[in-house]
Amino acid sequence: MTNPLQGLNFQTLFDAVSDAMLLVDDTGHIVQANSAAYLLLGYAEAEIIGLAVEALMPQQYRDHHHHYREAFNKKPEKRSMGTGTGAALVALCRDGKEIEVDIGLSPMPSAEQPYTLVTFYVADQRRQAEEELRISEERLALAKQAAHLSVFDFDAHYNVLYWDDCLRALWGAEPDSVMNYQRIISAVHPNDREAFQAAFEHANSPAGNGEYSIECRVINPIDHTERWIAAAGHMHFKNEVANRLVGIAQDITEQKIIEKQLQKQRTEVEANFTQQVAAQTASAIAHELNQPLAAISAYSEVALHALENDSFDPNSLKRALEGSVKQAQRAGSSLHELLAFLQKGDVVRDKLNINDIVKEALIIAKSNGYGEFYPILQLEDNMPLVLGNRIQVLKILVNLLTNSVEAMHGVGMSTSTITITVRTNADINMAHVTVRDNGPGLDPETAKRIFEPFFTTKPTGIGMGLAISRALAEANGGQLWLEPGNKPNAMFHFALPFAV
Amino acid sequence: MSNADATVFIIDDDPAIRDSLALMIAQENISVMTFENAEAFLDACQPECLGCAIIDIRMPGMDGMQLQEELSKRNILLPIIFLTGHGDIPMSVRAIKAGAVDFLTKPVTREKLISAVRSAICESEKITTESIHHHDATSRLAALTDRERDVMMLAIQGYPNKEIARHLEISHRTVEIHKSKIMHKTGAINLLDLARLAHEGGLI
Repeated sequence: MTNPLQGLNFQTLFDAVSDAMLLVDDTGHIVQANSAAYLLLGYAEAEIIGLAVEALMPQQYRDHHHHYREAFNKKPEKRSMGTGTGAALVALCRDGKEIEVDIGLSPMPSAEQPYTLVTFYVADQRRQAEEELRISEERLALAKQAAHLSVFDFDAHYNVLYWDDCLRALWGAEPDSVMNYQRIISAVHPNDREAFQAAFEHANSPAGNGEYSIECRVINPIDHTERWIAAAGHMHFKNEVANRLVGIAQDITEQKIIEKQLQKQRTEVEANFTQQVAAQTASAIAHELNQPLAAISAYSEVALHALENDSFDPNSLKRALEGSVKQAQRAGSSLHELLAFLQKGDVVRDKLNINDIVKEALIIAKSNGYGEFYPILQLEDNMPLVLGNRIQVLKILVNLLTNSVEAMHGVGMSTSTITITVRTNADINMAHVTVRDNGPGLDPETAKRIFEPFFTTKPTGIGMGLAISRALAEANGGQLWLEPGNKPNAMFHFALPFAV
Repeated sequence: MSNADATVFIIDDDPAIRDSLALMIAQENISVMTFENAEAFLDACQPECLGCAIIDIRMPGMDGMQLQEELSKRNILLPIIFLTGHGDIPMSVRAIKAGAVDFLTKPVTREKLISAVRSAICESEKITTESIHHHDATSRLAALTDRERDVMMLAIQGYPNKEIARHLEISHRTVEIHKSKIMHKTGAINLLDLARLAHEGGLI
């Protein structure tokens, strides 16, 4: 009976071992290596055979190594390399990469000359790496938990690749249950769905920067509680094709409540201040007019009384009538002075990029505490420059935005979209900006009076915003009007002349 | 109407208001003096002035309310009519509480102004009469001794001599002597007259 193992040669056995192994002669040169060694150290067979083992260690260890090798040759025994030193061993790969290894040395006595079998163990390192990965994942999970962050991952076709269980809980879904875009958007507050969809499309657009950002309300379909979620992410593109949208989401309900209170306070303070300014201005004007009016009234009555009675004193009568005339003149010039004071300074008009001004107005509106809306910008590229006073044009746009936000809040819509379109209006040869909200629109009576001074539908307003905005638009050679017709989605138009 | 000695003082920084109101009041044959600020008026004003002051509530320098306070400090009991540009209610309440007789909003009609002036002058005359009476009564009551004063206070409250004697632990006869001295010193013709005098003198 033949031994079936006789057919196996040394190299076959050698290659079958998963640890990297080298056979080294007593001069320290490699005479044989296995496949695992080629793989670990990155050498081809032809390169490694004949190489001195010192070549496999970093420069600083090479000089001393032959002492250790001689010591080992004098007293060959099966042991680990570097025993007793406690230091980690480092193997130098062909590409210069250094890897930590444990090395086992086994003397292989032979008739001709002694060989040493060198075995590299990287299993410990792998375990360590796995451990590190586990710790790192645990750390990430703890950090996520601490920051109340959840992770999501979509592909560009709205398929959910990952949706973590915290998010499932917010959406009223069981852990590990299957999520899809339909299920996700159906729990989003109906008023926020348009914005939710728009944010995704924005990230998806190859023309954009891939940024994804949305704040929306989610209604838990099980217990019907409403939570505010903020999500931010980034669409990754592969060869200019949208590939994956990875991001984080956070429950910001508490923050929203505080924000809302703050905004309410700020609005109240501002409204109060504006009212004070208006009251003071009106009071100053009233005083300027009332004084001469009071004198005219008294003079006139003096004259009347003189005429009605026999005590006709021509001097007094003359004095009274002259006084009346003088006081009427005084009232007139006071008014002119006041108006001149209020309109002092010529309006400086500059060439403006209307698209930039619209973006700036959005930032200002948000920083003024009117940020609870999702802007949909539809800008015309390569728009010619317009002519206008920058501050006044900004004021008009910010006013239109804040009006929209307030109107929508007024009917209990806490989130909303505002669509701002910038285009060239060839009919009037002007830059044409429209600001459209998704609110209920204006009733015919309000629409008729909306530009009147002191007309307001707000409990704290003074009703000067749109009146002033229209005056500013006209002072800049432009127009401001309301889209006619009684329909939802109030739409304001603002046109400015081009700089020629 | 006995407005003959009364003067209306107009204190307003607006010359047209001063002039027109002065003409109006002069037409009623009431004498008028005008001042362009509170300080000028205070310099000219005497405690025995009869009439009233028409004061603009808002003036540069000392304003109307401060002038009212200053007049009261100087014991000048001139009735005050305040003028205001717009009906400033909290201020008018304060002014009335501090003794202003009226509060008029500009422009003021002749009817309102003249009627306010006339009632202010009446008030001033009443104050003056009261003040004369008070002065008279105090000087007449000043001659009384403490004991006589005690007897008087009980007598004008209607206590008979016997009660007064028992109350003050003096004899009936002594009470009678005190009473006769009181009547003599004050010149009161009877007990009722004495009671009026005590009232005017601020004792009751």
